Amino acid sequence: MQNIPVKQRAKGVQSIDRAFASHFAKSMFITVSGILIISFFATRMFTHVDLNLYGYMVGTIVFLGGFFYRFIAWGERPPTKNLIKKGLKLLFRKSTPKTSAEHLATYRFIWNRGIYRWTQHVLIGWGCILSCLVTFPLVFGWMYFTMAESGMYTIVLLGMNVMTIPADGFIAFMSYNALNFSAIMVILGVCMALYRRLKNLQARAEQQFMYDFLPLYLLLLISITGLALTFINVFLHGAGHYVMSLIHQYSVIITLIYLPFGKLAHIPFRPLSVFARNYREHYGEKSMKQCRVCGNEFVSTEQSNDVIQVLGVNDLEFEMKEGFHLAELCLPCRRKYRISRFSGFPTHEVPVKEANQNAKG
Amino acid sequence: MTKRKLYLELENCIGCRSCLAACTQCGGHEQKNRNYVYDVNPLVNRQTMPLMCLHCADPACARSCPAQAIQIHETGAVLSALVEKCIGCQNCTIACPYGIPKFDEEENLMYKCDLCIDRTKDDIPPMCASVCPSNTLQWLTEEEIEMKKQSHDVGNDKWVTSMHYLEGETNVTVNLPGILQGTVKLF
Repeated sequence: MQNIPVKQRAKGVQSIDRAFASHFAKSMFITVSGILIISFFATRMFTHVDLNLYGYMVGTIVFLGGFFYRFIAWGERPPTKNLIKKGLKLLFRKSTPKTSAEHLATYRFIWNRGIYRWTQHVLIGWGCILSCLVTFPLVFGWMYFTMAESGMYTIVLLGMNVMTIPADGFIAFMSYNALNFSAIMVILGVCMALYRRLKNLQARAEQQFMYDFLPLYLLLLISITGLALTFINVFLHGAGHYVMSLIHQYSVIITLIYLPFGKLAHIPFRPLSVFARNYREHYGEKSMKQCRVCGNEFVSTEQSNDVIQVLGVNDLEFEMKEGFHLAELCLPCRRKYRISRFSGFPTHEVPVKEANQNAKG
Repeated sequence: MTKRKLYLELENCIGCRSCLAACTQCGGHEQKNRNYVYDVNPLVNRQTMPLMCLHCADPACARSCPAQAIQIHETGAVLSALVEKCIGCQNCTIACPYGIPKFDEEENLMYKCDLCIDRTKDDIPPMCASVCPSNTLQWLTEEEIEMKKQSHDVGNDKWVTSMHYLEGETNVTVNLPGILQGTVKLF
């Protein structure tokens, strides 16, 4: 049940939320209705639905169920709830477009982790994004092709004739093969990722088949069966097309349904890093917290308070007898304070900078 | 196989920083050390003590992480943030009662001691304990830790482990300095 504030309940305010049994029900209803409405217009009142793709449609709806289940549950964790609430408020900062581009499109932070990893991530990430941009509009009829005049295709986007192109022209070629290109990108990226997982020591220590390998194999299965469809049509005169298209369909649907629950969940979840950056920038400009021991500014006052609150919710009280909460000390002072607890000597009160912490002689 | 634990005998530390250097060499640590060595009273004497992640049973870093990026290994080790999940909010660095997690601004990624999980999951000592020349950092079985406790049990409450001087139960056992508290230790 959704929590309705007592004040609202008493006044009997008719919020739209009252119409739904839960967040989950509301999210599902709005999303499925939205898709239906868009499809209604885009397919010109359901006259241009590609029923060959109905399996994907069902798969997508099941995926949405899992997606909302997983993410509403996750959003109830105290630190997550806090970040989402504040992040939404700060969404329209000036720096948002730049941060979003760096975090979600160019993956600059992964570049800094290594060019190899960046390359594999760009190939997999953009391969998947490209495929989604092609697949879902086709499945829901938001985009389709009609041929009024022989040899000329009309691209219909959201029910509107966008352009008419020659069936053997460049744009047409790119459209037919978009999924082939994205499949090649994903296959290359996945192979790089698999190679790294075989060689990298940290990866080898921590990786698990179900968490780290399964998503890669699923992506590989989708891409290879997708490419196989093209291969069958071009070189085998369509022999085995129907079987392969079913295998492909199942692989996509299974991956979709699995997506919110495994490693791939970071795809819909990653925009939170933009929230986190905005949160730190905004509250950092507002007011910085001074360390209660050395007076250096080390984090925003807001974040220090938020962390203290979140720890409190988890029954972690770090109030010290000296009168400060540990989250109010800068990191070096917090470490020195611990040394002082070990030794009995107030190390944190000696105004000497921590020496030689990088093992360089 | 007997699962062993990291055991710190703080007063043994001679400040050589071998543990820091060794940490950088662990597979996956990418040349960045995740532990610390502090002068206790830098203007007066040379006593040093190491400080590393104590691998809390109920880790504040993981509790404060909005992304559930900090996972706890089945051995009890609190791992570095999962790279695909860490969103760079740095809550963990503020929440940790010991100030352990580090943050790489360039990579937008938190990193911390993972108890050299590629080694310790197979009961091989972590890098720091492998190289420590003064037995400050040791990799011991529960029985050995119990024996340590017996041999230091001098009946004057000088044996202290985790709970008293820490903020919660940890998977690393800490023995507090006998020297500084007036107990002479024979090596």
